[in-house]
Amino acid sequence: MKFTEQLKFFIRSFFLQAGWNYQKYQNLGLFFIMWPFVKKLYRNDQDAIPSVVIRYLSTFNTQPVIASFCFGALAKQEEYIAKAKNLTEFNEETLEWNSIKQGLSITTASIGDRLFWGTLKPLTLLLGLFIWLLLGVHVFELQTEEVVPLIYAFAGGGAAFLAFNTIAFFVKWEGLKISYETPASACFGLTKFDWNRTIYNAKKIGLTLTVGLILIGIYYYLRDFQQMLDVHFITRAVLVLFFVCISFLTHRLRIPNIYLYLVSVILFNIFCYL
Amino acid sequence: MSLELLLLCILAALLELDTTYAFQLTLSRGIIAGPIFSLLTGDYAAGVQIGLFTELLFADVNPLGAILPPSAVVCCAIAIALHALGIQLCYAFIVAVLGALFFVQAERHVRKQRVRLLTFWENRIQQNPDSISRVLFFELGACFLVNFIIISLFVGISGAFMLWLQPLIPQKAFYACQFSFMAVPWIGLASLIPEFRLKTR
Repeated sequence: MKFTEQLKFFIRSFFLQAGWNYQKYQNLGLFFIMWPFVKKLYRNDQDAIPSVVIRYLSTFNTQPVIASFCFGALAKQEEYIAKAKNLTEFNEETLEWNSIKQGLSITTASIGDRLFWGTLKPLTLLLGLFIWLLLGVHVFELQTEEVVPLIYAFAGGGAAFLAFNTIAFFVKWEGLKISYETPASACFGLTKFDWNRTIYNAKKIGLTLTVGLILIGIYYYLRDFQQMLDVHFITRAVLVLFFVCISFLTHRLRIPNIYLYLVSVILFNIFCYL
Repeated sequence: MSLELLLLCILAALLELDTTYAFQLTLSRGIIAGPIFSLLTGDYAAGVQIGLFTELLFADVNPLGAILPPSAVVCCAIAIALHALGIQLCYAFIVAVLGALFFVQAERHVRKQRVRLLTFWENRIQQNPDSISRVLFFELGACFLVNFIIISLFVGISGAFMLWLQPLIPQKAFYACQFSFMAVPWIGLASLIPEFRLKTR
């Protein structure tokens, strides 16, 4: 794949979900990304375009970052379809194109959701939190009267943004090239990366950081209290422990945090009036 | 509505596009959107706190498949806008969380309506494949407009209501809201442990 073509794919891939809909998900976005390539490929065969357009407008749904593997593989297969010498070959290649589209989109969605939304997003959140703590921004109980310099305000979020997007851009860019160059027998290059191990190691780091942060948080939260039997100390300690325990329970019951928070608002109001 | 709040609503509507429709650069995350909004109000500490609390509270819901998580951008925008109007942060956050939940319902409704347009767009693209750019541009523009209308209406109405209600809220209720606000990072951090649980190698 030429650099300019790859760049076109890369830039257009940011609009994969622009036409997101409940019926065919990312079909409009997929067509938008592939159209310049398809147009160039069939410039001498205008009659083929309507059927190609219909193919690309069928259902497509995957994780937007790792979707680049699908674009490269589909582009390569489209070349085989365009080069088909007879109808039988054309039908076979088209069938293969459909199975690549369906199979690869499911595989990449599974990997991408676990890696980017399930692991990298919370991991970069912890990174941001640690950076704010290192800079002395008291994120656990911030007094809004406290003056936070502009650069500090953006340090944590900025670091999370850079960390997430460096990996996302790398996967997007390399995914296009690798999937275009690697044949179906080698899973379009998906097996070049050990995704499971990467996710496992990232989760291990995440777990360690979370436990560390809870401990640091407890230290920050309670360090101001001189007397361990102070009533506020006990209230805070009970509050922290209660929410840590209840969060585990609600997670098990699949109740989102947001509802736990709203329930806590109601419960605290009831307790205050008892 | 003041100019800074109007700009905040425009910025929120733009950043909300990053959640699903365009880029997905994670600019719509709480820890990034919060400080960005605070540039308009000047209260960076509130921006960091609201952004972080929002991100931690919403950390357990991810946009997998067709799942529509509560909008962190909308939550941050409403909370920071209400705080800029003089509402206590703990009250502003409750209203913002409710606003984010309301926005999800509105967004779901809008998405269902968009399916009706799909056949029209597909026919148009089949007639002229080059029109795909215009179709997507229109879709993004429409999303931005809908986002802006919902966010600004919610900020305007809830802001006026909270300004009326705040002096009437008793001290006990204030402490209760402060307590729940203080609990947010702990709820979020605790939910990250099961999120990172190690299943396979």
